[in-house]
Amino acid sequence: MHGCPELKKIENIEAAAALVADGSTIALGGLSMNSTPMAMVRELVRQGKKDLSVVAIVNGMAVDWLIAGGCVRRVISGLISFEGMGLAPNFRHAVETGRCELEEYSEYLLIARLRAAATHVPFIPTKAGLGTDVIDLHPDTTRVEYDPVTGEPYVACTPLKVDVALVHANEADSRGNVRVNPKLVWMDNEIVNAAQTTIVSVERIIPHGDFLAEPHRTTYPRFMVDAIVEIPWGAYPSSCFPEYRHDREFYETYSLAAADPGQFREFWMERVKEPASHVEFMRAQGGAGTVLRIRRTST
Amino acid sequence: MNRVDYSIDELMVVTLARAFDNTTRAFNGAVSFIPVCAYLLARKTHAPELVWAASSIAIDADPARLGESTLSDSIWDGAAMLSSSPFEFWAYAQGRRYNTFAFRGAQIDRFGNVNNTVIGPYDTPKVRLPGGGGMADLGCMIPRIYLWSTTHNPRIFVEKLDFRSGIGWGDGGNHRSELGLPGGPQLCVTNLCVMDFQPGSRGMRLRSLHPGVDLEQVRAATGFELLLPDGEITITDLPLAEELRILRDEVDPTSMRLREFPA
Repeated sequence: MHGCPELKKIENIEAAAALVADGSTIALGGLSMNSTPMAMVRELVRQGKKDLSVVAIVNGMAVDWLIAGGCVRRVISGLISFEGMGLAPNFRHAVETGRCELEEYSEYLLIARLRAAATHVPFIPTKAGLGTDVIDLHPDTTRVEYDPVTGEPYVACTPLKVDVALVHANEADSRGNVRVNPKLVWMDNEIVNAAQTTIVSVERIIPHGDFLAEPHRTTYPRFMVDAIVEIPWGAYPSSCFPEYRHDREFYETYSLAAADPGQFREFWMERVKEPASHVEFMRAQGGAGTVLRIRRTST
Repeated sequence: MNRVDYSIDELMVVTLARAFDNTTRAFNGAVSFIPVCAYLLARKTHAPELVWAASSIAIDADPARLGESTLSDSIWDGAAMLSSSPFEFWAYAQGRRYNTFAFRGAQIDRFGNVNNTVIGPYDTPKVRLPGGGGMADLGCMIPRIYLWSTTHNPRIFVEKLDFRSGIGWGDGGNHRSELGLPGGPQLCVTNLCVMDFQPGSRGMRLRSLHPGVDLEQVRAATGFELLLPDGEITITDLPLAEELRILRDEVDPTSMRLREFPA
């Protein structure tokens, strides 16, 4: 639904999240503790989305929230963890108990599948994954084939279609042009290109003229973006380079709380689910003190 | 010779660093403090031309200290370029421009294949681990693979992996070249010893014991039949005082590398 370019694309967070239908396939931008659209993810939890398939190439907290919120039928991923701060507790428990399906690939196999979708080809060949058990998990989507000329093996990666891409960026204008400062380093473009609809949360809206003055800095053009939501600190507790770091305290406290179901429930309601707005959510994280602690640079 | 005081993390870092040279072009993934320290130490000592992309993104980064994540911007300071993962990183990796990658696993087998996916059966796992991430990809793309493990025991060094998340020498012998894959694992450095891979069979082989460790200890800690070197079993070379100074003062002054060791 890449829409009419004349319309302003700024939405409030509720309206943007309403673009995600129950049962649809969403894809999350960012990587591990970096640049994940956490505020949008929290809104999906608040709206009680159901039966989502979640494409998250390398992720942790966002998938854990969506599972804790009961929103997920299937996770499509290469890696879910909090790095050295532990395993994502709700993800781990949901997969171990079979409450949630896991469609597991590697990082590059997922990139190749997204590229196959974005370019409308039946498959993308790669050497990635050869000789591993990852290839045998899903022979219908990543299968070993042999080049008819050389006989050399490769993995054929079939298209992975995405309904809605959710990504976080630094700046946008009201028409939906977006830029990532200083440049996009993660795989967000792969999911944006593969998705039917793209929602971008940004730290701030800037004048359209700023894009005209420096067009070489634009990351996504307006026709690739369907909705812009202005949410300062919208990637918290993940990072938004170069403006703020991930909040180690949040990850550590979350992991500790998860050791006890009652304690986790309390943490989850107070710190994640209940705050009625993003401003109240940031207040629940410690407000100005937390912001000062994670801020890297002024912009 | 002057006696130097060192700890096991320092010996592991120094041993890995000495395996790298000016032709090393490396990058790193999550929870990779030991190899990150080794790349930086090598670059600050004998290999000034070594290339390291911090978090696979920040090329030639020179952080004053390491943060608690090796996959975040906390180690990007001083970089000459922030590269993009799909456009640049994966192109350089598949083009074999990057030639060095270090990984570890919850399980490692005799051919240097690793598991970071599940413990137990895949469909009914005892422990659901994070997943292989880029391991399945990079094991196929990068010619010089290095393995490390801060805990050498039979639960990690196993006869058979529960799941092969990343390929080392595969089934051994010519398996990698039959698949059209370059190179393979070079070394495995643990808290007990250094191992390499026997030419031909590609089985893991003891190369040197760390000071104070004996062969029986390593055998008991290894769940498969470890090959032995043809000649005498040597002792791992000790760190030099200058290497330790640089590691402690310039590379990792807040000792983030200790996060990889059990508390």
